[in-house]
Amino acid sequence: MSKPKPQDLFDLLAKFDDVSESTVTSTRLPTILHDAVRVAVALGMDTSANDATNQALRDRVDSFALRLALDEHFREYPEARPSLAQVAIAAARLDGDPLGEEVELVTQAAEEIIERSPDAKPDDVLIYASALARHRQPRRSRTSAA
Amino acid sequence: MPRPRERAESVILDCEAVQALMSATHPKHQAVIATMMNAANPRPGQRRLPRVIVPVAVRVEAGWDRTQPGSALVNVLSHATDWPLTASRADEATTLRVATGVSVVDATVGQAARESTKPVAIVTSDTGDMHRLAAHIDGIVRVARL
Repeated sequence: MSKPKPQDLFDLLAKFDDVSESTVTSTRLPTILHDAVRVAVALGMDTSANDATNQALRDRVDSFALRLALDEHFREYPEARPSLAQVAIAAARLDGDPLGEEVELVTQAAEEIIERSPDAKPDDVLIYASALARHRQPRRSRTSAA
Repeated sequence: MPRPRERAESVILDCEAVQALMSATHPKHQAVIATMMNAANPRPGQRRLPRVIVPVAVRVEAGWDRTQPGSALVNVLSHATDWPLTASRADEATTLRVATGVSVVDATVGQAARESTKPVAIVTSDTGDMHRLAAHIDGIVRVARL
């Protein structure tokens, strides 16, 4: 079998929602993981251990394929890569976080945090932006409070 | 502004979101790529990846034919599931359209939002119409501006 290409994976992904035959396979699981899945299913995680395994694998493959697709896309169109601030703003908007509308603040947070931590994640930016926002809020003066 | 918030379980793309995804030269391409990057990365503790949905009428209006060779990358980048328009969904979309005065295609976006697992995030640049739709839908429906 020749080495598969990303496109081979993309073609299979396009058929994920089609009705397909199933393949019985055996997987060696650590006993603790096996027991944990059984208990988690009993507690309502999924309808069965089989569904849980399928969904977890599908999410992994989906996520991996998307990373491959993004890598290809950014190789071809480097200018398409969003900044850390843009990814953080998009995250906030998906989460319904008011920081999603604070573009200037989040951009400042991203610029400052990336200087200290080049591997910062969008959530790190939003937590930092949240702290900046609190710092900016006017504080009650001690004299007027007295 | 506390973090983290509950990430959307369902992400629905409107017409401009799809068009922005399809064209690397679209002014909102980076923003929609940023949204897709978030949708493909589960939060710690998040049960599963959000389901990305594209109502079929949106695909038609945006000119997204999944079978065209040029669509292969977009098919993966969006990792979106088609939301077919059935007779009962058409009835619901009609009700939403009459109640809100939005376009036919936007009404199908609203119908998808109504039926999808909450919280829902509608990715759009047409925030006014989507807020009107969201006001007619039970549960958390966020309007994630591009």
